[in-house]
Amino acid sequence: MITRTTDGFGQLGERSQALRSKSSMPLRDGSRIAVIGAGPAGSMFSYFLLNMAESVALDLQVDLYEPRHFCHRGPAGCNHCGGVVSESLVQRLATEGIALPDDVVQRGLESYTLHMDVGDVEIATPLHESRIAAIYRGNGPRNSEPMDTHSFDGYLQQLASEKGARIVRQLVSDVRKHDDAMQVECADGSVDDYDLVVLASGVNSRLAKSLEDLAEEHVSPALTKTFICEFRLGKEVIRETLGPSMHVFLLDIPRLEFAALIPKGDYATLCLLGDDIDEELMDRFFGSPEVARCFPGGVIPRHICHCYPRINIRTARPPFGDRLVMVGDSGTTRLFKDGIGAAYRTAKAAARTVAFHGVSADDFREHYWPLCKKIDADNRVGKFVFWVGSLVQRARFARRGVLSMVAREQQQSAAPRRMSGVLWDLFSGSAPYTDVFLRTLHPAYVGSLVRNLVAANLPDKNRDLPRDPGEERA
Amino acid sequence: MSNDGEPTGVGPDQPFWTHAQQLEKTPPCQAQCPNSGDIRGWLGIIAQREKTGLSLEQAYDQAWEKLVNLNPFPATLGRICPHPCESRCSREAKDGAVSINAMERFLGDWGISRELSLPGLGDPTRVESVGVIGSGPASLSFAYQMARRGYPVTVYERRDLPGGMLRHAIPDYRLPRDVLDAEISRVFDMNVALVTGVEIGRDMSLEELRERHTLLFLGLGAQVGRRLGVEGEKGPGVVLGIDYLTQRKQGVRRNLGARVVVVGGGNTAMDAARSARRDGAEVIVLYRRGREEMPASEPEVTDAEAEGIRFEFLSAPLRILRNGTTLAGLEVQRMRLGLRDADGRQRPEPVRGDTCILEADTVLVAVSQEPGWHGVDGDGPGGKWLHTTSDGKLAEDLWAGGDDRGPGIASRAIAQGRLAAEAAHAQLRGEPMPEPWTSRPAVDSAAVKPDYYRDLCRSPAVRRPRDEWLTNPESEIDQTLTSEQACGEATRCMSCGLCFDCRQCFMYCNAAGFTRIQQAGPGRYYALALEACEGCGKCIELCPCGYMESREGSGW
Amino acid sequence: MATLGKEYKDREVIVRQGEAGNCMYVVQEGEVEAIAEVDGREMRLRKLGPNDFFGEMALFGAENRSATVRALGTARVLTIDKKSFLGGVQEDPSLAFRMVKVMSQRIRDLTDRLAEHHLKG
Ligand SMILES: Cc1cc2nc3c(=O)[nH]c(=O)nc-3n(C[C@H](O)[C@H](O)[C@H](O)COP(=O)(O)OP(=O)(O)OC[C@H]3O[C@@H](n4cnc5c(N)ncnc54)[C@H](O)[C@@H]3O)c2cc1C
Ligand SMILES: Cc1cc2nc3c(=O)[nH]c(=O)nc-3n(C[C@H](O)[C@H](O)[C@H](O)COP(=O)(O)OP(=O)(O)OC[C@H]3O[C@@H](n4cnc5c(N)ncnc54)[C@H](O)[C@@H]3O)c2cc1C
Ligand code: SF4
Ligand code: SF4
Ligand code: SF4
Repeated sequence: MITRTTDGFGQLGERSQALRSKSSMPLRDGSRIAVIGAGPAGSMFSYFLLNMAESVALDLQVDLYEPRHFCHRGPAGCNHCGGVVSESLVQRLATEGIALPDDVVQRGLESYTLHMDVGDVEIATPLHESRIAAIYRGNGPRNSEPMDTHSFDGYLQQLASEKGARIVRQLVSDVRKHDDAMQVECADGSVDDYDLVVLASGVNSRLAKSLEDLAEEHVSPALTKTFICEFRLGKEVIRETLGPSMHVFLLDIPRLEFAALIPKGDYATLCLLGDDIDEELMDRFFGSPEVARCFPGGVIPRHICHCYPRINIRTARPPFGDRLVMVGDSGTTRLFKDGIGAAYRTAKAAARTVAFHGVSADDFREHYWPLCKKIDADNRVGKFVFWVGSLVQRARFARRGVLSMVAREQQQSAAPRRMSGVLWDLFSGSAPYTDVFLRTLHPAYVGSLVRNLVAANLPDKNRDLPRDPGEERA
Repeated sequence: MSNDGEPTGVGPDQPFWTHAQQLEKTPPCQAQCPNSGDIRGWLGIIAQREKTGLSLEQAYDQAWEKLVNLNPFPATLGRICPHPCESRCSREAKDGAVSINAMERFLGDWGISRELSLPGLGDPTRVESVGVIGSGPASLSFAYQMARRGYPVTVYERRDLPGGMLRHAIPDYRLPRDVLDAEISRVFDMNVALVTGVEIGRDMSLEELRERHTLLFLGLGAQVGRRLGVEGEKGPGVVLGIDYLTQRKQGVRRNLGARVVVVGGGNTAMDAARSARRDGAEVIVLYRRGREEMPASEPEVTDAEAEGIRFEFLSAPLRILRNGTTLAGLEVQRMRLGLRDADGRQRPEPVRGDTCILEADTVLVAVSQEPGWHGVDGDGPGGKWLHTTSDGKLAEDLWAGGDDRGPGIASRAIAQGRLAAEAAHAQLRGEPMPEPWTSRPAVDSAAVKPDYYRDLCRSPAVRRPRDEWLTNPESEIDQTLTSEQACGEATRCMSCGLCFDCRQCFMYCNAAGFTRIQQAGPGRYYALALEACEGCGKCIELCPCGYMESREGSGW
Repeated sequence: MATLGKEYKDREVIVRQGEAGNCMYVVQEGEVEAIAEVDGREMRLRKLGPNDFFGEMALFGAENRSATVRALGTARVLTIDKKSFLGGVQEDPSLAFRMVKVMSQRIRDLTDRLAEHHLKG
């Protein structure tokens, strides 16, 4: 009497089965896939691929190679990043049914605070909701005492493993073609054959050499040095000083593109991105009063953990070949922002291609490449946006204008928040750079900015603006 | 959450740029070994043999060769050395120090059973001839190190057989003759001649010998026992412990009577007491300080007690009592520990009025020995001790080492002989002095992570059953480890301060900074590309042995 | 503190039936209940727990909330913006897979309940 409706998902599955057969290299039941690296890209690829395979009743064997344990406290368990999971990624993961557990989220962030010589201003999220997650890639900084924390990468790896991925604790030393299959060799000398190799080994892959032989015209990613360190401040101090806000510094320091202080449980992570961060740049940064102001008593404490990881500034091309695809940082990532979000997007696009189409270079070119190109194109716009940003950083009158515009917007809750929105998206990595850029061309934005530039730089109009410590010093 | 305990300071004071580097360190065992034995090195060859593709036999052979590089008598020292190396072994707190001494013995016996010969250094034969006076461990170590550097060596020994105290004092139940013979004969298999029965300074003058050789080494030992200097000491029944032991080793059996009192607390006292016990006497040992202060090693005291020897601590002889000329016993003064002297030891002082009488048929005096040398005079306050530079130089052509420079143990004598040879060779060749083995910085104990290593109990000592000790008095009590035990023991070594290929740095470095070295071996498994390093400190934090460290110091 | 979304107190209303909406919600922690108000009478449609979503109809056209959702005990809820969701689905249609699956399940449940209702009635 009650007729069961066919599962809508099942129908989708059948359709994709049909699609898949068009490929010259479809996967079948029992196909074997090697995923190299269990950072966000590798784990999410494995998770989503197995998820999709399950829904189309395709039985795949996924081996997820990761030599490291993420449960180590201190640097050993860490994958070197600021640990900000962007607003858009938080939302997408939630939509996928992945709610980041409390022990993974070290702090939910509700706002951005901009620090400039002309003053500080806070940009809040709509609804005052915690929409950004501050996480640890590993299990907390060096010498941190056992807390109820869980590594973000460890959590994703666990999701993949629960979905059925086999975790192989090996370092992959070589990938090569072997007849119709791909061969993966590990540092211990063991060798295994696969139908597909997914490279998710991050920026510093020791496999670059192998790849040059595999994908013709392969261009490895270009890298630059960054700096990250952790300060131990204690929950109380963080509540009083930093609050649930990500602190961004717009300072006139050459080569510094982006600097942020991100509060987490007992710690705050400082992250400097730019063009080869070096000692001179850091001296200038730590010598800035804007930075000292953020710490209790205006004194920068000793950091307890640091590293200067490399970051992608030009992506690998093309990020695929027959039976080979690169996801996350080893393929394409977003310039300076939301790298984990890009890892998610590329991982998923690759998983879709593999599950519903096939594993030939043509399949990837048709179904995976467009996303990479989109991210790449957006990065080019991003470069421009960062360049404009650096102009603002360099010009004091422009900083005043920005400060004034944001301050007004934040005071009037009903007004359109053009500058706030632009900055929000820029810093949080929530929206494509193209979006951000287009909005800055909006006449209303331009008009408002001009008005504020003028107003903020007229001597007697400064009264209703936030404190300008530069002024006091002068 | 409080902030306490956390050092604070202005950020930039801290080095921000830190990089990892690989640096070999001196492990605690080597630092403690008087001869700077490369213990980690020879244990590592066995423990890491699978990584380097050696069979077990090859590994033992190579380990033996590494061991005899510094110590030509591993089977001997593996039996008698009080092994200070084990006292600071990083493994101690986990599940007991590595049985370094037992391993040394195992390898020594391996070398003997395989009839391995001492390795040369490939040097050409040289014209400068070397004379060595005495044939104790110091002299033989010097002779060996010079011979392998190409020098023709002649050893002059006043007794009929070489070996010094090892042969003439240490009892068989601790050091069997065949073991000593096997190890000593290897030295004379090299270009080393032996002249016995010649006492330099009596049968031949030092000057004569100086004429004959380019260079001389004096390894005269401290052969003469010191007397007590108390009333009644002169006369029958009071015998020097060292003389008793030497005669006993030469097969001369003395009638000690039923009650023997041994005075002293060192090696000679223990050996004399236990020998007297084996000769059938009831034995009491008098020592003027407490048990903890005894120079003899704790296991030796325990063993002596197990054999029924009684200890009277904080007791010193006041006078020897005689019935006419016959010995009756001795009056004992009770002592207590008083103020510390210059070297921090508490000085024993008499407790006024607290004395007692001990009856005895023989008193064995084993309070200390000093050099007895005719021909050269020492110039220190001890009168006879030789005062050399730290590497053993007395004059351009005159070097010395061993107990004649101050009382010590065999390992120290071997070290001084070796160091003198290295220095003399450098002088003869006009080369710079070689770097000392322990010149590398010490391993920071906090950098070694015992938790990383698998729990593995120390191999239990293999010993003959206690009830056989006295019934079979001259046969050895301690036995050699089995090969299986030896392998287990070698893997217990944590390789403090030198890479042993745990692979963690290689596996964890995000920067892919480490690459496997093709021709791998202990300490050489991965090359680190310094420019790749992202300064995260993973490798430093993970490296269980403390090989990885920060290039900029500890401000990491 | 180590949390995402916004906290609602017991019985606090998160969305109200009939109000305009432009976002969906995902429960992070605790429980919420969806209630339909029919002729001033409340009817509980369903109880939702962690990882469950609601308010999704606002994303697909219907501008007004079809039900009231309020916290059952303390609950934490994250909003998903319409714009970001649609942008996501446009790039990656499979983002909607799970929702489609759950929504069809809900339709099935409702059908079942409707049928039961009919039989009883
Ligand atoms: C300073 C800095 C700050 C950043 N801050 C943020 C931020 O706040 N938010 C954000 O979203 N993104 C941030 N990023 C970017 C982000 O870190 C990366 O985009 C993201 O980690 C990419 O994930 P992935 O999985 O591709 O690679 P990774 O996270 O690098 O993971 C690669 C994994 O592969 C493993 N691996 C490597 N080689 C091999 C091999 N041969 N065999 C087996 N396994 C191997 C590694 O062990 C590692 O676990 C930041 C980056 C930098 C440098
Ligand atoms: C009873 C006893 C037990 C000991 N037990 C231990 C132990 O368990 N572990 C340990 O490590 N150490 C032990 N020692 C100490 C150790 O034996 C000595 O430190 C070591 O033997 C010193 O070596 P050497 O080469 O300096 O002198 P010796 O071993 O004393 O050798 C000196 C040699 O020089 C010869 N000689 C002296 N004068 C002349 C001359 N004028 N002409 C020619 N030849 C001469 C002597 O006959 C002798 O053979 C013990 C010592 C004694 C006395
Ligand atoms: S563990 Fe090994 S290297 Fe370390 S002190 Fe002991 S024997 Fe020496
Ligand atoms: S793990 Fe690699 S990057 Fe980190 S400190 Fe060591 S060598 Fe440098
Ligand atoms: S971490 Fe392991 S492999 Fe690396 S240097 Fe230390 S002992 Fe060697």
